[in-house]
Amino acid sequence: MADDKSSFDSVAEGPRPSSEVTVSPVKVDSPARAHPSVTALTDQFGEAILRHEVVATDQHIVFIPPDRNLEILSWLRDDLDQQYDLLRDVTAVDYGGGRPLQVVYQLFSLFHKQALRVKCELPLDALEIESVCGLWMAANWLEREVYDLFGITFKNHPDLRRILMPPDYAEGHPLRKDFPLRGRFSRAEQTRRALSQDLKHYYFDDEIELGGESQALPPMDGPQALPSGENEAEAEVETGVEASE
Amino acid sequence: MGLIDKVPPRVVGESPALLGEGTPAFLTSKIDFLVNWSRRNSLWPMPLGTACCGIEMMAAFASDFDLARFGMERMSFSPRQADVLICAGRVTYKFAPVLRRIWDQMTQPKWCVSMGACASTGGVFDVYSMVQGIDTVIPVDVYVPGCPPRPESLIYALMMIQEKIRQEKLDQHAILRAEDPAAVAKPRADAEEIASVSGPFGNSTQQNRVSGSVRTDAISRPGDRIP
Amino acid sequence: MAQKTVEFTLGRNPEMGMDGRPVMGPLAPIDLPEPDIESDNMLLNIGPQHPATHGVLRLICELDGETIVRCIPHIGYLHSSFEKLGEYRTWNQVVTLTDRMDYLAPLIYNCAYVMSVEAMMGIEVTERCKLTRVIMMEMDRIFGHLLWLGTFAMDVGAFTPFLYTFEEREKIYTLHESYTGARITTSATRVGGMMSEMPEGWDQGVRDFCNGLPRTLDECDTLLNENGLLLGRTQGIGVISGEDALNYGLTGPNLRGSGVPYDVRKDQPYYDYESYDFEIPVGEYGDCHDRYLVRTEEMRQSLRILHQALDRLPKAEGPMDVPDPRISLPAKTDAMNDMESMIHHFKLVTDGIHAPAGESYFPVEASKGELGMYVVSDGGTKPVRWRVRPPSFVNLAALPKLLEGHLLADLITINASIDIVLGEIDR
Repeated sequence: MADDKSSFDSVAEGPRPSSEVTVSPVKVDSPARAHPSVTALTDQFGEAILRHEVVATDQHIVFIPPDRNLEILSWLRDDLDQQYDLLRDVTAVDYGGGRPLQVVYQLFSLFHKQALRVKCELPLDALEIESVCGLWMAANWLEREVYDLFGITFKNHPDLRRILMPPDYAEGHPLRKDFPLRGRFSRAEQTRRALSQDLKHYYFDDEIELGGESQALPPMDGPQALPSGENEAEAEVETGVEASE
Repeated sequence: MGLIDKVPPRVVGESPALLGEGTPAFLTSKIDFLVNWSRRNSLWPMPLGTACCGIEMMAAFASDFDLARFGMERMSFSPRQADVLICAGRVTYKFAPVLRRIWDQMTQPKWCVSMGACASTGGVFDVYSMVQGIDTVIPVDVYVPGCPPRPESLIYALMMIQEKIRQEKLDQHAILRAEDPAAVAKPRADAEEIASVSGPFGNSTQQNRVSGSVRTDAISRPGDRIP
Repeated sequence: MAQKTVEFTLGRNPEMGMDGRPVMGPLAPIDLPEPDIESDNMLLNIGPQHPATHGVLRLICELDGETIVRCIPHIGYLHSSFEKLGEYRTWNQVVTLTDRMDYLAPLIYNCAYVMSVEAMMGIEVTERCKLTRVIMMEMDRIFGHLLWLGTFAMDVGAFTPFLYTFEEREKIYTLHESYTGARITTSATRVGGMMSEMPEGWDQGVRDFCNGLPRTLDECDTLLNENGLLLGRTQGIGVISGEDALNYGLTGPNLRGSGVPYDVRKDQPYYDYESYDFEIPVGEYGDCHDRYLVRTEEMRQSLRILHQALDRLPKAEGPMDVPDPRISLPAKTDAMNDMESMIHHFKLVTDGIHAPAGESYFPVEASKGELGMYVVSDGGTKPVRWRVRPPSFVNLAALPKLLEGHLLADLITINASIDIVLGEIDR
């Protein structure tokens, strides 16, 4: 918001459907407001720094190509003048309308007290990017969440599974713009699916292998599951309520 | 309870004279009273606090409100020893089978309090991951409105449960509290009922897919109109 | 910015080595043959309904005897899709969702969200509003820590502190209620200001609370600090080094317990936090006991900030909201009498605020750690994306690392010591 266009011009213009709006944050190239890391990045990687934007007065965004994210981020972490040792957040943004998904890394350097936002744009037909778990362990769950809610695959991730939704969730990736708020199935179907899960929806494969047959649960549906408490031992394994007592 | 079996079933509209001293009905009503009195004053709640309402439930158990005054001294974290399930907070589809399992594990007689707007109807969360009211999954006795309800509301709800217990008849127990083994781990409501209770109802003007097809103003509810 | 390590008066348990790990006493050597029992590791499922998991967390542990070999947390049992729902709400309507996320310290979330939107829109709020928000955030930091203290003590086996801390929490509930009308779901902030002016005498109520709290904290200290059970169950348990903690993205008291003095209030100050006189408590060993000490000390430091902010309040006269009719609602009397104000009122309520295209990530120090609100706008009245950087989500991801090699009984202590709230983990 550095130029003379008022922030509230859009009030006079009235609301626009979000599909017509093109996102164009203001570009600032004045050296006085340049970010030292951005300058260093441009010197180091040159063409690989696709764009540099400044938003909200002093927040700097750097766009990099998705196939070089690991290289650039590891340089940002290890270079002595950068030292971005805290990965605050990994997330994604879907603007809808067929535009590419953005993967957003929020970095912070405790030593230099600097924040930097790095973005990669992924076209919808190639939602794949290298995982940064090797650099920051914090990325582990954050990338799993992005995979779950946006459907972006992180290559070489140690444990890429759905994290918030059930493992057999069949309706898609909820935070994508084409996903309706109330889900794709009817409420009755969602309830039926939720209550007709069996063992493999509660445990992952290696856990079932570890637990073995002796701890296997009866299927949830059917009268043999829990007529009047005979299967107590199994039921306790299920909800675990007795585990601590 | 072999004694109860010998008593002829109560006839609706029986004459008050039959309830006099020395009749079988007199005996059962006294036993009813005794059993109900002990049941309602030693309810063991199973606190299932998932979200914000759970914090208010904890406040109800803590010093200022002190639920122990009503005979709920012992919180039973095991469903097998609990009498009343307090479902406090949002319930997701991922959690629904767990909720159903806990309910199935509780032994009869059992009651359920649905605490808060989210547990009762889904609340503001008319979204893909939330159960639109736990009564689609398990039967509910008392709904507590509020987001979250104050601890006094929860206490009042438990007093309503006590009132409900007070009116129970032991000779009806086998009928009212019978459980169908086939219903275990199944949703309580059928597809039609779920569809009817989970339609958008006005809190979701910005979000529903069928907005406009359902009227949400007061006039469309016939009960609200004074003839 | 020099960080001062707060000197804890309490010494370490003498049985602890300097590295924080227990020093084993000399045992009489017992010469027994290796037991020739074929044994498998055992799978134990804890949760999602379990009193010690603080909600609906589910942990699957692989046990060798009583030792945890591996722990796999399963989350998502409370996934309420806040972020998706936020895309269907106007900028001000999202505020009501934020306090349902962390119901242990709702006002911090209210404030953090609007602060991010204001940063994106380039709004500078009034001095009085800043002070009010600082008071609210510090009050809720205490609010969250008090609940943590009560439940943590309960998890290591002491019930009394729970009753003491809830008594103090009831006072904050009352303060919440007199300002916002709700005990937990406060929704107190609006873009560009607060929901209303402070009610008469509210600041005095906060001051009374501040004067009364140290006594309760001292009482809890007396109960816990020299309690052999607490020391034995927390010292040397769940140790994580500073480097590891940073690599795992831990923030807040969990990171500071490991000796890294990172606090957003000092390192990226907002709302004039640099002008307040307070210290950041930092632990030494990175175990459960240090995290406990850091949090109790943080409550006392928050009290210092509260006193300073309350002192500044009388000097900051003026409006609470930004005097811009395109953001703040006009006064009710104006809206009733003046056509212009009524149109503004109408447009603001029906359309909502128009935010210019742009985005903002605004970090604040919540009671659990660094809370970042990331909002993206395309120029409309609703967010394109509203993302919460959840502190306890990232903190919980380090749980398997903290649990490695500990006994099953320590799981409860460690899980309690990282202070999670499931509403915000699952969102």
